[in-house]
Amino acid sequence: MQKSMSDFSEELIKSTTEDDQGERCELSGTGMHFPWLQKHIETVATGGKKEKDFAQTTSACLSFIQEALLKHQWQQAAEYMHSYLQVLEDSDSCKRQAAPEIIWKLGSEILYYHPKSNVEAFNAFADRMKNIGVMNYLKISLQHALYLLHHGMLEDANRNLSQAETWRYGEKSSSQEVLINLIQAYKGLLQYYAWSKKKMELSQLDKDDYAYNTASQNMLDHSWKTSVNLGALIQIPGVWDPFVKSYVEMLEFYGDQDGAREVLTNYAYDEKFPSNPNAHIYLYNFLKREKAPREKLISVLKILYQIVPSHKLMLEFHRLLRKSEKEEHHKLGLEVLFAVLDFAGCTKNITAWKYLAKYLRQTLMGSHLAWVQEEWSSRKNWWPGFHFSYFWAKSDWKEDKALACEKALVAGVLSGKGCRYFRYISKQDHQVFRKKIKRMKKLVKKYSIINPGL
Amino acid sequence: MSLTCPSCAAGETHSPCRSPCPRTPRMGCRTWPRAFSGSRRPPGPFPCCLLVLLSRFLWDHGDIAFAPLGKLMLENFKLEGARSRSKKTTVVSVKRLLQDLDGHQPWGCPWAYLSYRQRRFSILGGPILGKSVANLLGDLLHEELVMRWEQLLLDDAFTGGALAWVPGKTPRVGQLVYPAGSTLDKLYFQEVSLTPGGNPQVLRDPGHIQLRGPVRQVVTRTVQGESLLAVRSDYHCALWKVSRQGRPAPLQVLQVEKGATGISLSPHLPGELAVCSRSGAICLWTPQDGLRRVYKDPDTLVFRDPSPWRWADFTAHPRVLTVGDRTGVKIVDTQGPPGCGLLLFRGGAEASCQKGERVLLTQYLGEGSPESLHSTLHLICTQFSLYLVDERLPLVPMLKWNHGLPSAPLLARLLPPPGPGCPRPLLLGGQDGQLQLLHITGEEASTPRLAGPPQSLPSRNDSLSAFPVLEPKSQWRLQERLKAPTIGLAAAIPPSTSTPILSLFQLSAAGDVFHQCLRLQADPGPDSCAPTVSWSPQATACCSQWLKALLEVPPAPPVWAAPTFSHRRLLGCVEQREVEGKVPEGLRAAMAEGRLLQQRDLGSLPTAEPPPAPEPGPDDELSKRLEAAWEGQAAAWWERRQGRSSGPRQQPKRHKRRTQLSSTFSSLSGRLELSDVTSPPPSPDPEARPRPPGTPPSQELAQEHWARGVPSERQQTLRDYMAKLPLREDALEDASAPPSQTSSIRATRSRQRTLQDNTAKPPLQRDTPEGAFVPSSQTSSIQATPSRQQTPVLSGSQRIRKKPRMGF
Repeated sequence: MQKSMSDFSEELIKSTTEDDQGERCELSGTGMHFPWLQKHIETVATGGKKEKDFAQTTSACLSFIQEALLKHQWQQAAEYMHSYLQVLEDSDSCKRQAAPEIIWKLGSEILYYHPKSNVEAFNAFADRMKNIGVMNYLKISLQHALYLLHHGMLEDANRNLSQAETWRYGEKSSSQEVLINLIQAYKGLLQYYAWSKKKMELSQLDKDDYAYNTASQNMLDHSWKTSVNLGALIQIPGVWDPFVKSYVEMLEFYGDQDGAREVLTNYAYDEKFPSNPNAHIYLYNFLKREKAPREKLISVLKILYQIVPSHKLMLEFHRLLRKSEKEEHHKLGLEVLFAVLDFAGCTKNITAWKYLAKYLRQTLMGSHLAWVQEEWSSRKNWWPGFHFSYFWAKSDWKEDKALACEKALVAGVLSGKGCRYFRYISKQDHQVFRKKIKRMKKLVKKYSIINPGL
Repeated sequence: MSLTCPSCAAGETHSPCRSPCPRTPRMGCRTWPRAFSGSRRPPGPFPCCLLVLLSRFLWDHGDIAFAPLGKLMLENFKLEGARSRSKKTTVVSVKRLLQDLDGHQPWGCPWAYLSYRQRRFSILGGPILGKSVANLLGDLLHEELVMRWEQLLLDDAFTGGALAWVPGKTPRVGQLVYPAGSTLDKLYFQEVSLTPGGNPQVLRDPGHIQLRGPVRQVVTRTVQGESLLAVRSDYHCALWKVSRQGRPAPLQVLQVEKGATGISLSPHLPGELAVCSRSGAICLWTPQDGLRRVYKDPDTLVFRDPSPWRWADFTAHPRVLTVGDRTGVKIVDTQGPPGCGLLLFRGGAEASCQKGERVLLTQYLGEGSPESLHSTLHLICTQFSLYLVDERLPLVPMLKWNHGLPSAPLLARLLPPPGPGCPRPLLLGGQDGQLQLLHITGEEASTPRLAGPPQSLPSRNDSLSAFPVLEPKSQWRLQERLKAPTIGLAAAIPPSTSTPILSLFQLSAAGDVFHQCLRLQADPGPDSCAPTVSWSPQATACCSQWLKALLEVPPAPPVWAAPTFSHRRLLGCVEQREVEGKVPEGLRAAMAEGRLLQQRDLGSLPTAEPPPAPEPGPDDELSKRLEAAWEGQAAAWWERRQGRSSGPRQQPKRHKRRTQLSSTFSSLSGRLELSDVTSPPPSPDPEARPRPPGTPPSQELAQEHWARGVPSERQQTLRDYMAKLPLREDALEDASAPPSQTSSIRATRSRQRTLQDNTAKPPLQRDTPEGAFVPSSQTSSIQATPSRQQTPVLSGSQRIRKKPRMGF
């Protein structure tokens, strides 16, 4: 305990000296850090003084370890690590303070991949490292728990997290706060896992069974603990998808719809949180389950549309807009379809092309030519090359004839009969598609927004 | 010839020319383009235009400008041959002055910048030469120093890489496109065929296009079956369309007045090119609409950073670009209102960046095809870490990994998966030749992950051990050549029937193209044999040919070297003492030239038997000799010793000693190199000792001479050591001869063994290609070697940068 006391005071000193070290490599005056400068001009960086032998040895040893790790020579890395441990005795307090974290990072990586390593060895290493210096306790505990999770040892991981959760040292700093929240949230996630397993079991049990009551009582206890654990973390701005999802699922299960809605709304709309499309998707799915009115669903998807116009849900969004009574929604429906097809990942989405072909006809039949022209004007100089090129006509026809027919119809309507894509497809002679192509030609003749006759 | 783009403001960055056909260089019009436009210099006493004219005059007609002054000052200088021994301090000896300027340091101290003579000269000349000359020279010096310093900190000219692989008609054939020539101003097209075995074949002599400036970046894309090639020079960018036959047809040349920092080709639409300029403008060139400025901001995105470096790339939306600088990356809609956009990456808390961390490279990882799983991912590299950012979830990186590269990561290539269901290899190249291989997996719905631990690939420096051991100077030259910065990286995966192969090409700043072949290793068990890391016979032959060509070229005289200790004075002393003529002329000449001593320099020395090594046992000669030496009677002892051992040679004893020594040596080396399994076991019989076959006995004799001057007790060791080295002239010609092979095999096996020892049982599913290093230089680079050696590439390119010529 005495040792850790002195470590702590040194760590406080460290925070002031660390900055001086950082300045060393910033010789340009630009503020940029050049890690490779040291070797170019060692004497300049160290002010003419040569590094001490011990420092040279340890830094060489460190680079050997890193090299061995990158060459997957775990055995060798372990041997070097054995020697590197002496850096903990460095007389330079700065280096001594930085050492535990480096040792933990490299050591845990070695033990993760080393062929002869096992869980016991990792546990022993982690427990020892936790108590060298105090600043790393929480971080190491969390990573230790994740390692145990990865090896399927949920109970041990849970115990580990519980231990770390109650750990305190000195005044709570903000970085400690976040870490403790994370630790609690992971613990909550583990409890959620146990809960959802129980839920599975429960669903298989008969309601009249004697066991059912005890099991359901068990579940109730669990949920209360979990909600405490998960709730704290998701208040902090960040991306917490798995935590939010499991939290909401539990709230919903126990009928706390308002609580769930509040969590999701907060997660999606709080401006302090980074823009996260998943937050809107969760909210939309929740509202859909709740059978919320169409207006509400549209307003959620509208925001998702602004963030990720290429999302899969956009086709669903289009369907909602199509069904809506408002004219502006009909216009937006067309916009959404065009926007989906702008993206490289969606060029072969046959549903989107089918929707567009159908909706174009519908819109033009409804004499909204201006809408189509508005959308087309910003795309007419690059869609022909992007979608309706000769290359794509040939390759689409070869790979997916149905897609080619839908695209050809859109191409014909938007850029006229002269369009290469349309011309190529309309010339094809195919038994199954003959009728379709004939119909396509008729539609293009009727609805094409480019009318050479006029 | 050049048109100014109507959509750019007057004098703005780009103006397209019609075609990249060669024109004659216009010399002199922009001798020092940046010397008088920099804002950091306060305006001098002269108006700027006058200063330019004056500088040009002084530069071009130095004889006229300075001759009268020289005549005036004649009495203050003592020219060569003038015998006046004036003690006046106002007379400067020209010979000595020139010596000083040559780097001769009378005090023998490299840190004494000024000799008293130079100081005297400057005091004498100062009032006469006037301020303007000193100012001009000072400016030039300052500019040069600033440039060198910036380059030392970070040379970002080759960001993105100047080597590209253009796929050809069949998947097996393609073209490597890279710059060569002493100033990297020739763009070579080398057709290469990839064999299933992994040994690429150079198909015919490369074609080339002569350009008007050094090539900094070569980019290629194949969009909708069309192969496009874009090249960035310092002040120009050019675009070619490569036909299926591999013929490049020029499409467009763009002039960038402020200097281009990056180009990228659209993965969606054929021929679209984004160009970034130092002024902070991003322009998009499309075949339909021509050139259009889509973004302009002279300031950096997140916080103030002085670097004018800008970068742009495409995104999953063909009309949305990423714009990057040292502080962050922004997504910009080219069709939207100017200036707006969303930050994709910020050097700050969201990515938990370190202090002083800056963006060095950004790259769009999608390929434009809908099949690609990573159509929304962007790679961002800083000095410390690598980030994968999804454009749908900006600011929060999907993946961060500390690459720990000891040089700037300016090159990255994401490759298609080598097989169905395999993770995608991502290559990361550091400027100093380090290469790292990562495997990225993850479906579109899930976050990208690293599959297995990242891996460092053997670098060019690692192949040094596979070359035969050379004499120190040649060895040094080879080492320097291999150490040249990497300026290009390209990879191709040839379709193969059995194990997938990754062909990796690297371009070094010295103009060499290296090839490396990686084979996919299917999940090795802990007991499986490690794959061989080796050179193929063709590669060995190619490398020895390359090495021969390299060493045939006389080394370039150093442009300027830091002043070092004077050896001339020392030599003078030696000459005076050894007037008796015992040391032959050759030796002195060799020393004066700093050459390695050779047999002919030593002349016909009396060929005495080499002094035998001390004998162990009761008759301890070594201690006796040391005793004699201590008392100052070493010579007498030697004479006694000579007289005694002139009798019949004691062969058996010598053998014994030798074997003893060699065994200690080999055991020592074994301990040092961890490769004792491969070094030949010490045999008790001296005749069975491995000896390079075909080494004539005279060779050994020569080595004995070489070893003269080595303390006698070391000679035996030295001789043993020398016998192991393939120090033969013909070792290079006969590449498959055992000596060179033993060395290469030893290096290989030692690596093999360490691999074998440490083959880990991977906890994650792992398909890691193991590195097999086959550097092979292209014939072209060999042919180009002589001319390049005359002027070192780097200094040449610097000169070019200072005097950019107009037009291509």
